[in-house]
Amino acid sequence: MKTKEVVLTGNQAIARGFYEAGGLVAASYPGSPTVDIMESIKRNYDEIYSEFSTNEKVALEVAIGASFAGARAMASMKHVGVNIAADPLMTFTQTKINGGFLLVTGDDPGMSSSQNEQDNRIIGKFANMAILDPSNSQEAKDFTKIAFSLSEEYSTPFMLRITSRLCHSRSKVKLEKREERDITGFNGDLSDYCMVPPNTYKKQYVMKDRIEKLKQAAENMDINILEEGNNKDVLIITSGLVYNNLKELGLDISIYKLGMVYPLPIEKIKQLAKEYSKVIVIEEMMPFIENELKINGIDCEGKKYFSFTGELSTEDIEKGLFSAGVIDKLKYKENDEVKTVQRLPMFCSGCPHRPVFDILKKSRKKVIGDIGCYSLAALYPLEVLDTIISMGASIGILKGMTKALNMKDKGEPLVAVIGDGTFFHSGMPGMVNMLHQMEDGENMTIIILNNGTTAMTGGQHTASSGSYAEEDDMNVNMVKLINSMGFDRVKVVDQFKYKEAKNIINEEIKYPGLSIVITTRPCALKFKIKETHFYVDPKICIGCRSCVKTNCPPILMKEYEGFDKLKSSINSDMCVGCSVCAQVCPVGAIKRSE
Amino acid sequence: MINKNIILAGVGGQGLVLTTKLICEAALKAGYDVKSNDVIGLAQRGGRVWGSVRIGKKVYSPNIPPKSGDILLALEPLEGLRWSGILKEKAKVIINISKIPPAHVMAEKEKYPGDIEERLSKKYDVITINATDEGKLLGTPKVANTILVGIMAKYLDIPMDIWEEAIKENVPSKYIDTNMKAFKKGYDM
Ligand SMILES: Cc1ncc(C[n+]2csc(CCOP(=O)(O)OP(=O)(O)O)c2C)c(N)n1
Ligand code: SF4
Ligand code: SF4
Ligand code: SF4
Repeated sequence: MKTKEVVLTGNQAIARGFYEAGGLVAASYPGSPTVDIMESIKRNYDEIYSEFSTNEKVALEVAIGASFAGARAMASMKHVGVNIAADPLMTFTQTKINGGFLLVTGDDPGMSSSQNEQDNRIIGKFANMAILDPSNSQEAKDFTKIAFSLSEEYSTPFMLRITSRLCHSRSKVKLEKREERDITGFNGDLSDYCMVPPNTYKKQYVMKDRIEKLKQAAENMDINILEEGNNKDVLIITSGLVYNNLKELGLDISIYKLGMVYPLPIEKIKQLAKEYSKVIVIEEMMPFIENELKINGIDCEGKKYFSFTGELSTEDIEKGLFSAGVIDKLKYKENDEVKTVQRLPMFCSGCPHRPVFDILKKSRKKVIGDIGCYSLAALYPLEVLDTIISMGASIGILKGMTKALNMKDKGEPLVAVIGDGTFFHSGMPGMVNMLHQMEDGENMTIIILNNGTTAMTGGQHTASSGSYAEEDDMNVNMVKLINSMGFDRVKVVDQFKYKEAKNIINEEIKYPGLSIVITTRPCALKFKIKETHFYVDPKICIGCRSCVKTNCPPILMKEYEGFDKLKSSINSDMCVGCSVCAQVCPVGAIKRSE
Repeated sequence: MINKNIILAGVGGQGLVLTTKLICEAALKAGYDVKSNDVIGLAQRGGRVWGSVRIGKKVYSPNIPPKSGDILLALEPLEGLRWSGILKEKAKVIINISKIPPAHVMAEKEKYPGDIEERLSKKYDVITINATDEGKLLGTPKVANTILVGIMAKYLDIPMDIWEEAIKENVPSKYIDTNMKAFKKGYDM
């Protein structure tokens, strides 16, 4: 039978690899660039139990449990998600591996959709894991499978590090059959799984020994590939997509392409280094491979010629090699520069966040932001948020800032906003913490934007999705939860009743203690909300632009025949009928169509 | 066919990812090597989005090197203009001229450029169509991108029956007919 060949993204290829490897349990928390690994498993592979867990720590723990039971298990998350999961990870990696274990981390050089650019190869090494780094979709699939067999063979948890570009790049993949596997069950020795001293003492040696053995195996591993050119001057060491970007240059040059970037085949590289006059490492972000080589006494260069931040495109590599004197001509010219109007992302038509931020902008108060679609409120034209750090951080920051300001008599009313996804992910501990030393005069308002989904990452469920979607398996009642935590000033608002919502939010901001406001409208995109559209009556419109300032995509000032002043207009194809613009219009010029 | 580098540019929510996938799958079926970039980053919320497809005998990087684009599929004119800098001289530019104003234009801080076609025609071979309106005539503006793909298909060495197969496999079943009509509409232009 001919093997079937298809085009898959890196994410889809990892999902396929897990399926073919006989994977049983996959857990994840959504985050770009890896979110589609789990979506693809859910769409295609019923044999696998898959869940979007409450946060990355829980996802990792679910996968750990399955691995303990002997199942091949995978946890996938964006790079910063590994920070959340780091506590169980750092201790889990000391245990014996029963079912193969893979942690997939989506790094984001260039930060196309992330709050930082951390290089998780560092965490992989820190946690004593072996790290694979694929360069296309075929390798993403193959390496996923290899990770499971090596993980079991060397009793070591593996990390697959993939970058955002590859996650979303399609290329050819040959499909193979799923390997059906039974599980052993959990009947291990407690000293291998109860990580308390003295059990942990010997584990330090076990971890060292595993990495040592993998290092030896790396010397002849066929995913570390040497391509010899005629030129013996330079040896390039690289991995991942950077390899393909380098190949694009079509140079006659020797390349050692690493499939496993930790531990490295040090002896082999020492040997090779003797044959060449110069070793150059090309890698994105931190000088990880370069430093490993230097620690091991191998003379090499790298970051001297290539940027420490962002992606390394073919042109960047060409420039780096030129400055290193490896090539003497630049083949690529610069792109023509095209200057034009910028285009920033904005809330969708009918977004439930829109009226809240319109109200907050008018309140002119400082607003501590958090991570979600509402982070867009930091951008033009809203520019309402004053800080954004990491998921769930708004609550602790609100408390600390309020305390410090009050202690020096500089108190002012502060507002924090947090989505339901972020609230359940890591906002809850901050909320409970709020109950500490509440004093009068600490004017804090927390607005929980309960839109029933983690909208920003593509509309995955949250623990409170069940209140908007009956088919969802979780329906935590946000209001009951907040009340039972012990907060007594809790207001529930329908933000599409604009005036009422404005009054309540402003009242709560004024209230000199802690108050919590929970909004109730669902995400318009996820829940495909579309009601009859609104239109502007140009005869009534006075051109005040209040509606335009809500920044809803269909609203635009335009020329009408017979009027000399510009009047507002609404593109009926785009309007989903939330009515917010009509409510901010001072003269009633915006009406719902029949 | 010699290597072809295709750039797609549009606005979040215009279905760029699906269009990229359609082109990739047709290329694969026709026996080519293919690599693409989908949007990375904020895909849905009205921001600028772009993708690329590279087709040929052997493709290494999914990224199009500077000034190497052969075809630009502009799902929106301003976004087409923004990405045109990556094109070769005389490249084909296929534009859906239906405009989506960005926030700064909505707020009247800046004007939507009025000379996009003119500027692009000076350097490139420009084909324009209001694919959104044409799509509506066929039944739904959702097939606008398929019309553009139909126009592009004339410049790629991929047989018609392969395009038909790829469309059938990649669009929701109730839209197959409309998409077929849309593709032909573009192809026959
Ligand atoms: C630790 C971590 N995990 C995942 C993400 C990816 N991420 C960005 S926004 C978001 C969800 C936001 O959901 P919610 O707070 O409900 O806001 P919404 O987008 O629905 O408005 C996630 C998971 C992240 N930035 N950090
Ligand atoms: S996806 Fe949902 S929450 Fe995000 S901007 Fe759109 S409507 Fe708002
Ligand atoms: S009613 Fe107004 S604010 Fe709501 S979606 Fe339509 S144009 Fe936007
Ligand atoms: S808010 Fe009303 S009066 Fe003001 S521009 Fe909009 S439609 Fe016209």
